[in-house]
Amino acid sequence: MNDETKKQINKRYEQELDKGERFWPDSIFRDVVVSLGIFLLLILLASFVGVPFEPKADPSDTSYIPRPEWYFLFLFKFLALYGQLPLIGKIEWLATVLIPTIAIGALTLIPFIEKSPNRYYSKRVLPISFMSVMVVGIVLLTIMSEVPTVTEDGSKLLGTLQTVVGIFIPLLAYILLFVFKKNNRLMIWTASLAAVFMILVSGTVMALAPEKAVEEVEVPATLVDQITAGQDLYAVNCTECHGDDGSVAVIEGVEGLEGEKITPINSRDVLYTITDSAMAEVIAYGRPNAGMPPFGKTYGGELTRSEIDYINIFIRYMWDDRFEAPEIKPLFPPLAEGEVPSYDVHIQPIVKRYCISCHRAGKDNNDFLMTSYDEILTTGDNVEHNVVAGDENSYLLQVIQQHAIMNPDNPGEEMIGVMPPTKALKPDIVDAFTRWIMNGMPQTAEDAAALSGAQP
Amino acid sequence: MWKNLYTWLDERFGLDDMYKNLLDRPEPKTSWWNTLGSASLFLFVLQGLTGIFLTVYYTPSPDHAYDSIQYIMEGVAFGWLIRGIHHWGATLMVLVVFIHMLRVFYTASFKYPRELTWLIGIGLFLATLGMGFTGYLLPWNQKSFWATTVGTQIAGTVPLIGDFILKALRGGPDLSALTLQRFFSAHIWMIPAVLAALIGIHLFLIIKHGESHWPKKED
Repeated sequence: MNDETKKQINKRYEQELDKGERFWPDSIFRDVVVSLGIFLLLILLASFVGVPFEPKADPSDTSYIPRPEWYFLFLFKFLALYGQLPLIGKIEWLATVLIPTIAIGALTLIPFIEKSPNRYYSKRVLPISFMSVMVVGIVLLTIMSEVPTVTEDGSKLLGTLQTVVGIFIPLLAYILLFVFKKNNRLMIWTASLAAVFMILVSGTVMALAPEKAVEEVEVPATLVDQITAGQDLYAVNCTECHGDDGSVAVIEGVEGLEGEKITPINSRDVLYTITDSAMAEVIAYGRPNAGMPPFGKTYGGELTRSEIDYINIFIRYMWDDRFEAPEIKPLFPPLAEGEVPSYDVHIQPIVKRYCISCHRAGKDNNDFLMTSYDEILTTGDNVEHNVVAGDENSYLLQVIQQHAIMNPDNPGEEMIGVMPPTKALKPDIVDAFTRWIMNGMPQTAEDAAALSGAQP
Repeated sequence: MWKNLYTWLDERFGLDDMYKNLLDRPEPKTSWWNTLGSASLFLFVLQGLTGIFLTVYYTPSPDHAYDSIQYIMEGVAFGWLIRGIHHWGATLMVLVVFIHMLRVFYTASFKYPRELTWLIGIGLFLATLGMGFTGYLLPWNQKSFWATTVGTQIAGTVPLIGDFILKALRGGPDLSALTLQRFFSAHIWMIPAVLAALIGIHLFLIIKHGESHWPKKED
């Protein structure tokens, strides 16, 4: 750029300044309005959308589908599409390093690449078209980032269409742009058609995309929720050996560990001397020499880090006398006179807390599984007697009322012991079970309400 | 009395000169698109303020990071608001800085005499992305843990020095307490320092050359 052009540019700017405004108060007024608007928007977002809860990081959970922040999603998608290309798709660093480096390098050096002093749009059709195709591509790749490249039925159609949007059309457009470099009209047509086609194809992709199953991860956020979550987990994983109040000193009724002496985990000896993180390690790794299996996913168990933390929180707030427990919600809403309980509202939480510790796959339970509504009604060696609508002699009702079931062929032998084996259920729970079975085991709250209405 | 005080301060600070040079500057007619730069600056300051508040309670260790943020959200008065603003502010800042860059490109404001302003601006854009990348790990939840795992993995594919970069970012072969510690350090010290310095130069250049005018037919 020679001095003559520079002088001209500076003169043009002086002209514009003469016709212009003052920074204070003219320009700064708009700045303040926009900044305040942004501030307001942020407060609204923070108040009404909030920050979504996520479970704690769990390095052992390799099933988690990793995704980067939203503003890197387009790059992530681009890498996935690039990886599908034949031949060069295998050379990873071309896409992860070379192409981004070239892109950022070109972006940085724009003032030195586009050297003409022209600023008006019609004199800059090539760079504007170039950038516009790029921006449209980035936006569309971000929108499509959730769509898989290979669908469950093995079809690669979506992946191919995405590659057309993210790689082929832009590439073709760029080649054409350079071919038509001298002709503004053709360049505008090229860029516009490229953008239209990219939008149309990605619209097709979005229309064909398999409906995404909305998976709601419920994360207990409040202390009360965490304690309840911990209690349920404790009931499933720990009660068998440690008892539901952690007081067991000699294990009874557990295969392979019968008579094993353990320290009651609700004792001060344990609670005052073992920190949360040490306790978390014990739960995760177990005590193999003392017979305790590992529970953490890292060591082959099934609990995540967060779940172990919830158990810890439950133990602290319930048994450690240095902690003051908040008010805990009742396990199920108390039943009114004549009200029929439902599986969803009443029975499920009870079963979760008191039964499925043993009544799930892989335990010694006469094949009676209780982890879902259907299982309770359709599994077990004695399925035809276990849960019978309107029958107060249902085995389930008998055993929870401390009547063991004797073997019909050999009346001296106990076929099913009382349940739960160590500690009887409270009367209100027995009552809930009785009402539920006597009224035909309704599953949903609506079914139960209909039955309640039918009662005299 | 106020007049005396003002004169006293003016003699020492040079308030009148400041007013003349910083505020009472002539500008070409500008549009609403020209506010995005100051909006970025506003967001930077806001992120700084909310971020400083968050460090009061945040603990950068795998054992406590998650819980400390839970505590900010549940236990600290208005902690949810501060964290919410910081969380959404990050998203908005990336967006605003990016659109600001596009505006400068489309109006060709990067041309003589503002080439250096553009270069510094690219540095600011990359530093903003760096802030987003490092800040994302800090809550130490599943999303952030695995996002950083993938992010650093991609950096590890660089030929020859990839393995070194990966280990330098993670502080070892895997994501660990060291990774969290150095991302925290980068997020609150290193990158903000770079950002602040670059913003200073960027602003100086803008005041020196004035805001570019909207391109017209004769440009």
